[in-house]
Amino acid sequence: MSDLALYIVRIAFLVVLWIFIFSIISVIRADLFGQKVVSRVTRANAPTKVSSPVLPTAPAPIVSTLPSEAGGVTASRLEITQGERKGTSIRLDRREITIGRAENSDLVINDEYASTHHAKLVLINNEWMLQDLNSTNGTFVDDNRVGTPIVVKIGTPIRIGKTAFELRA
Amino acid sequence: MSVTTNTIALDIRRLSRVIPRNRNIELALLAFAFGINAYELAQIQLSTIQIYNADILTYWLPITLGALAIHLVLRWRASEADALMLPAVVLLNGLGIAEIYRLDLARLANHSTDLFAGKQIVWSCVAMAAAIAVIVFVPTHLFLRRYVYISMFIGLALLISPMLPVIGKTINGAHLWLAIGSLTFQPGELAKIALTVFFAGYLVTRRDSLAVVGRRFLGVQLPRARELGPILAIWAISLLVLVGERDLGTSLLYFGLFLVMIYVATGRPIYVVVGLGLFLTSAVVAARLMTYVSGRVDAWLNPFDSAHYDAIGGSYQLVQGIFGLAHGSVLGSGLGGGVPQLVPLAESDFIIASLGEELGLVGMFAILAIYLLIIARGARIAFQHSDDFSKLLAIGLSFVIALQSFIVIGGVTRVVPLTGLTTPFLAAGGSSLLANWIIVGLLLRISNTSGTHVEVEE
Repeated sequence: MSDLALYIVRIAFLVVLWIFIFSIISVIRADLFGQKVVSRVTRANAPTKVSSPVLPTAPAPIVSTLPSEAGGVTASRLEITQGERKGTSIRLDRREITIGRAENSDLVINDEYASTHHAKLVLINNEWMLQDLNSTNGTFVDDNRVGTPIVVKIGTPIRIGKTAFELRA
Repeated sequence: MSVTTNTIALDIRRLSRVIPRNRNIELALLAFAFGINAYELAQIQLSTIQIYNADILTYWLPITLGALAIHLVLRWRASEADALMLPAVVLLNGLGIAEIYRLDLARLANHSTDLFAGKQIVWSCVAMAAAIAVIVFVPTHLFLRRYVYISMFIGLALLISPMLPVIGKTINGAHLWLAIGSLTFQPGELAKIALTVFFAGYLVTRRDSLAVVGRRFLGVQLPRARELGPILAIWAISLLVLVGERDLGTSLLYFGLFLVMIYVATGRPIYVVVGLGLFLTSAVVAARLMTYVSGRVDAWLNPFDSAHYDAIGGSYQLVQGIFGLAHGSVLGSGLGGGVPQLVPLAESDFIIASLGEELGLVGMFAILAIYLLIIARGARIAFQHSDDFSKLLAIGLSFVIALQSFIVIGGVTRVVPLTGLTTPFLAAGGSSLLANWIIVGLLLRISNTSGTHVEVEE
């Protein structure tokens, strides 16, 4: 066997080994870069990654109330402005966004000050209502603690523990 | 609303169980791993004996069939189990067998009859059968919680058994083996599983009192004095292992495992600081008092010193391993192209040096990346769970693999003093294969219940 052939076999083996590793990594990409929160960069490429076990439960009724026809007034995404996941955003493509430490929340906040089911955003009459779910440390809009559900306008900072986010058009 | 949402969510879960996406990914990756394993054997035959013979099938088929058996059992009993763990482990196991076979060929050329690859095949099959038994017979890992104290006794008994006179056996100065007839076994490998189960169960019941903050001293929140009791007990046991079995690695493995689990359970770094302080102090004292430990430390610090290089049990092996790695350079000499047989124990303790020589730095990083992926999957499995016992168990089991790999590979590459632990899944050695495959079986079993458990609770 010629040396050249052996050399090719040898290099090819290392290449194949790394292809194997990268095929495993491609499967867990969702784990590595976050599942539900889609970052600004990858958002355009991977819109379908915004999925959760709860998502397919009620897609049909949402469609009619989707915020798109509201003439740019309704928010289309939620952007995190402070905290661990700063700079990432979630599409507001359903009627209800749950927020909390629970794994199955739409926006998972890993923070000692957040409760398991901390708060939720609900779309009512093309306006997003923020409801605090009796959390221990509270939800703050413009630094005022939320008592009864209130309407959240685009650009108003919402804070839970160390994480702050706001709605964007 | 939420009730209907949940029932619909459960329906979807049931539907997705009919179509096990995880298992199809696993099958595809397994096929890839089988291909790589065959490639390794073919490359070895090509570059050493220049002909292909039936050996390829002998060393490839058994673990391929074993892995397929595990895959089918997972489809049958745990269809939502993690998809990536099995292919990664099969690849490492196959790579280990290929390298051991390659060293056997070198031995045959020297007219030696002391071969290891056949044994490794048999043990791999036994270990895979054990993993299947775990997946089939452990209904849910929570059932292990009932046997927390029994596992403590089993773990301690296994740990201490090599120190007993008649059945204990000393190999290369370490009292780590049990010998029954000609069969030798390292019970410490199985003890790590039993002790992980015990630590998880114990810490779940005690985490609240362990997390209670005691007095403040020099700006550090100290735990209450009586909560240090368990740490001291485990420290005493690991010292006993160090003195009684003359093995630094095993002792470090159990103590490190306990520290990590107590840290994960309480989230308080002070336990790690106190524990590491205790361990380092005792290790320094041991290095002063015990020639075995001081020899290892000296050989680690000055391996190229001729006094250590020529000494019996000195740094000869370590230095040969390093020369091998240097010979391998970046791209390696190719499987079958190097001379890893020059290193003593090249097929067991120094398999990573053999592989490093033949696959080079690029291949060495590939192996480390596969370990990292296996461990990351274990941590991921832990995060998926809502109950603390499962979290701790999964973290503990994956950390055993992490710490053991670190101690061995770090020892061979001179990051830490060399100790006699086995490289998980790669090294020749039945007890190690058996224990690590059981860990894989447990992690797969734990990962299967993860999704559904949350849903049942709500």
